Amino acid sequence: MDILYILSYVLMGAGVAFMLFGVVGLFKYNRFFPRILVASKIDTVGVLTLIAGVALRHGFSFFTGKLLLIVIVMLVLNPLVAHILARSAYLSGFEMETSEEEEEQD
Amino acid sequence: MRIVLWIMLGLMALYLIPVIKGPSRWDRLLGMNLISTKVIVIIILFASLYNTAYFLDFAIIYALSGFIGTIFIALFLAQRKRREGEK
Repeated sequence: MDILYILSYVLMGAGVAFMLFGVVGLFKYNRFFPRILVASKIDTVGVLTLIAGVALRHGFSFFTGKLLLIVIVMLVLNPLVAHILARSAYLSGFEMETSEEEEEQD
Repeated sequence: MRIVLWIMLGLMALYLIPVIKGPSRWDRLLGMNLISTKVIVIIILFASLYNTAYFLDFAIIYALSGFIGTIFIALFLAQRKRREGEK
């Protein structure tokens, strides 16, 4: 039983570490598009590792079944929202001019 | 387990900064989306702390409605600006 216990703590620690990286990524990039890529991707991975850690503590039960449902929802919806956000920013011509000017200057 | 809860609350406070300071509307939306993910994680941790499975139903419903809300706000923001561009 101890191994599962330790493993769940390790997984939850990894999930929290991923989320901290996500925060670093969010504040490091000043332009929008790299920021949304890093933040949403790392955040999803962090959540999934954390959920895996929590699921280990409960073994096979209704709890883990519902957690699986949440994992599926997160896997489908998180990238979807990030894509729609980036698309709506792109369609509105957000931060388009600056990147072209920088390319001309190089 | 409780430490993870406190870290999540700290992260939510951290994500508030781009929501307030964020240069553009999309940064704010991104911050809100990340905060709603954190809320889901907090609900899951509470559920596992108190060993009650029905908390997770709240997390599922909150996840679905939160994401759908963000999606439609993003779509709304995109359409408004594009129309100005066409004039």
